[in-house]
Amino acid sequence: MTTVLDLHSHSEASEDSRAPLEAYLNWLRLRRTERPVDGIVLTEHRQFNKDADYRALEDKFGTLVLKASEVETDYGHMLVFGVTDEMTRRFDFADVHLPAQEVIDEIARMGGVVIPCHPGRPNVGLFEHYSKKSPLQNIAAVEVYNGGSRKGEDERSQQLAERFGYREIGGSDSHLVSLIGLCATRFEGDVRNIEDLVAALKGDSYQAVDFRPRRRPVQRAVAVEVK
Amino acid sequence: MPQLQRNYSDVKVGDALGPEEMLLSKDQVRAYARTTGMWVPRFTDDEGARKEGLPGMITPGNMSLALLSKLVTDWIGASDAKLIRVGTTYRQPVLPDHTIVLQGFVTHTNDAERTAEMDIWIENEDAERLVIGTATVQFAES
Amino acid sequence: MVDYDPNLIGRVFEVTDPVPVTAEMVAEFCQATGESGPLYVDQEAAKRGPYGTVVAPPSFAVTFRNGRQFFEHIPRFGRQGFDAGKDVEFVAPIRPGDTITLSSHVKEIYEKTGRSGSMVFVVVRSTLKNQNDETVAHVDHRFMNRP
Repeated sequence: MTTVLDLHSHSEASEDSRAPLEAYLNWLRLRRTERPVDGIVLTEHRQFNKDADYRALEDKFGTLVLKASEVETDYGHMLVFGVTDEMTRRFDFADVHLPAQEVIDEIARMGGVVIPCHPGRPNVGLFEHYSKKSPLQNIAAVEVYNGGSRKGEDERSQQLAERFGYREIGGSDSHLVSLIGLCATRFEGDVRNIEDLVAALKGDSYQAVDFRPRRRPVQRAVAVEVK
Repeated sequence: MPQLQRNYSDVKVGDALGPEEMLLSKDQVRAYARTTGMWVPRFTDDEGARKEGLPGMITPGNMSLALLSKLVTDWIGASDAKLIRVGTTYRQPVLPDHTIVLQGFVTHTNDAERTAEMDIWIENEDAERLVIGTATVQFAES
Repeated sequence: MVDYDPNLIGRVFEVTDPVPVTAEMVAEFCQATGESGPLYVDQEAAKRGPYGTVVAPPSFAVTFRNGRQFFEHIPRFGRQGFDAGKDVEFVAPIRPGDTITLSSHVKEIYEKTGRSGSMVFVVVRSTLKNQNDETVAHVDHRFMNRP
């Protein structure tokens, strides 16, 4: 038995996303064959809404919906799973210059887990910071499949993961409805809530999965004639 | 060719817009810049654009918005409907003289308001999404 | 965190002088965007359509700015900025023969980091009205600055 979760997605609560949660879940139902995802994690930018309750939508669509956050640090962007009030009191999630090592260690101490996302991306990915600064300690995993990656970025992420022995996750990083579930993480066993997810991420029985379709080569089109 | 007509009841989540492949020539971008009062180096001249740190002349964001809006209004065709909202995010420069692909999907519908929401975007030859956005189409009461 | 005068938010720019819309402007816009829809390019077909005349394509609405003053009023944070995106609500069609005025204000300022580094976003909302004081569009422009 396995559980496949898209660990990185943004709803309308993130300022640059245009995707209502219900539309995400309906899309996953529509695309079940090519994106066999059991649930998603909403990782809104620089915020965490502890009061948001998605149980009605979970029941309607039979899909798990969990909450996490994407924060910005001095080593790039990171996903925080298992967010508690203590964590949001300790760190201002809206700060775009959080101290990464402190975030990783304190969140772990408070029972959560922090995973760098899109580590192969310029400026906001771990890889680039590692070229200039000492590696971070106590990293559990990194995101090697990100649905918003440009050419070469996922490959750089995988190189980093292999070099440092990091485990690997996948997430769509979707900001549009139709992009949900393109990348995900497959866990051995049952993940039914955020506690299960945090425990699973601290273990080693998961792998990143990629549901992005293979692209056909684009033919050179004909230009519009301009008078 | 007669334009397509569709009723709100014909619209389904998952319906595709495009894909439409096009090559945006530098002349077409310059024509847009000229007619809209945006005749500045970054939209008209490779050398001038490079002085601003760009790889060459780029397509104005407004033009990308226009192309995506046209994707939607073409989809509307002769239907009794209109485009009432479009939103775009410019993630990478759209470079002229490259083939781009415009496409989209209907992502949800609202029966009470008779609207269809759609994802729309522009991709480059490497399937990277240069511009992403959404649009809302309002269908008239039947 | 980015530092700015909070009084900037909501302050209205000067309303511009009306900009006349001509049939030539609409035709050139259609030519430049490859637009061939009958409502926008075919006067005879457009007469039978919902508006009774040729109208500008919806995206024509974003081509209006407060002239040169527009960019002078937008707060700057560091180096020259880029158009980061727009959200446009199309309320009514713009027709040849209309005159359009704009009223704009700074709606929001926020900071984030991305592939190109630190960025400060300034969101300016413009409301476009025609000669009958009818709203034709609302445009939220998002400008990206690099501090």
